[in-house]
Amino acid sequence: MKKSLDRENRVFIHPGDNVAVSLSDLDEGTEIQIDDEVVVLRDPIYFGHKFATRDIPAGEGIVKYGETIGVATVDIAAGDHVHVHNVRSLRGRAHG
Amino acid sequence: MAELNFTGFRTSDEVVGIRNRVLVLSLNSFCNATVDIICQAIDGTTPIVHPHGRNEVGIYKERLESSLLGFVLNGNVQAVLVVGYEPESTTRFVEMVKEKTNKPIEKLVVLGNGTLDAARLGAEVALNLVYQTSRKKREAIQVSDLIIGVKCGGSDTTSSIVSNPAVGYVVDWIISNGGTAIFSETTEIIGAEHILVRRAANQEVANRIKEAAEANERLAKSVGIDLLGVNPVPDNIRGGITTIEEKSLGAILKTGKSTIQDVLKYGQAPTRPGLHFMDSPSAATEVMTGLSAAGAQLILFSTGTGNPVGNRISPVLKITGNPRTVTSMGSHIDVDISDVITQNSTIEKAGEEIIRVAVEVVNGALTKAEILHHNEFALIPVGL
Repeated sequence: MKKSLDRENRVFIHPGDNVAVSLSDLDEGTEIQIDDEVVVLRDPIYFGHKFATRDIPAGEGIVKYGETIGVATVDIAAGDHVHVHNVRSLRGRAHG
Repeated sequence: MAELNFTGFRTSDEVVGIRNRVLVLSLNSFCNATVDIICQAIDGTTPIVHPHGRNEVGIYKERLESSLLGFVLNGNVQAVLVVGYEPESTTRFVEMVKEKTNKPIEKLVVLGNGTLDAARLGAEVALNLVYQTSRKKREAIQVSDLIIGVKCGGSDTTSSIVSNPAVGYVVDWIISNGGTAIFSETTEIIGAEHILVRRAANQEVANRIKEAAEANERLAKSVGIDLLGVNPVPDNIRGGITTIEEKSLGAILKTGKSTIQDVLKYGQAPTRPGLHFMDSPSAATEVMTGLSAAGAQLILFSTGTGNPVGNRISPVLKITGNPRTVTSMGSHIDVDISDVITQNSTIEKAGEEIIRVAVEVVNGALTKAEILHHNEFALIPVGL
């Protein structure tokens, strides 16, 4: 698999995804350059956790590895922590 | 590419082993005490004890029988003392086993002897089996003699970035050299079936992969479970994994890119080389018990947050790409490939490092799980 790291080896992103993965503990306010865009973190993003690389409206898919891993349950802004509090799985649910 | 210098033990069957274990195999729960006494008295024996063996029906009976038979046939097992309670069922099992193997198989019955006398008789038999098998010499074997199980556990984000793709590299290498590999964990293909289906050898295999995932999802719904409450588990979520789809897409990276030749039932042995999917619940102990029953001589276990679990029959090699886990759970890690993150090393180099350590273990070097007596075993898994 091709590795895609930002300039300072702090985050991992697969081309075309709307989330990136932190490879260190990043503070709120950290600026991350991804391609030509700068994302400012709106939450602390711990090692292994994801943040949005662009705005993701409620109901839109979360794309990682080029695949949909769930949908946003609320509007997510670029730089927000993306995890169980604002994403739900589309699979294996008892209701719906 | 790692230098290939594999050795192993040839059995009187077609299979080879990387260990020369003598099993003392309990056929049901009240033979366990006899087995325990024998194995405490006789060095070089491997006890297989479990709480089953009376009145199982349906899938429980099927899984118990396929597991017990599979352990006996595993190449790492050179001889077996079968310990049953009464003569009829014990003889029936031993005769069934002897139709499938030429290995030394001895039997012992507890009824009529009592636990202590049975243990004394059994200890003498086990002594002779160990005496003989310990004299076997290692011979050159080929990659094509190997059946490798792959499993991930304690997954976090580094699993999908480092350890699973590196294990996938090793799987592709084994398959391209004529070997066999088996992956499992049906719950953890949910959300990634479409990718596996594209790699199926034919339409039937593709359909069976889809059916396995759908049946697993139906099982969750039928008992009113939201899979999100079961899988990903809390340590996955703490590690940054959000949904089962995300976990699955990361998990299947450990299967490489090879064609999937067949779908196996729990504990069923592959009948041809290449990559196989075993339909099984996903808990580590249960999966690895099934992998040994299917004939895996070695299990590659990729982990993010770390996991101590081992196996009595097949050595388990623990691999992590998480630099923090190397520090916090180092006593359980055999292969450290965290330099992919810390020094921007490559997946190919990480895969070569796994092969280097795997060759050592094939040749007799012990894994940390073996040294720590992590001998977890679980028969008859039915679950998610």
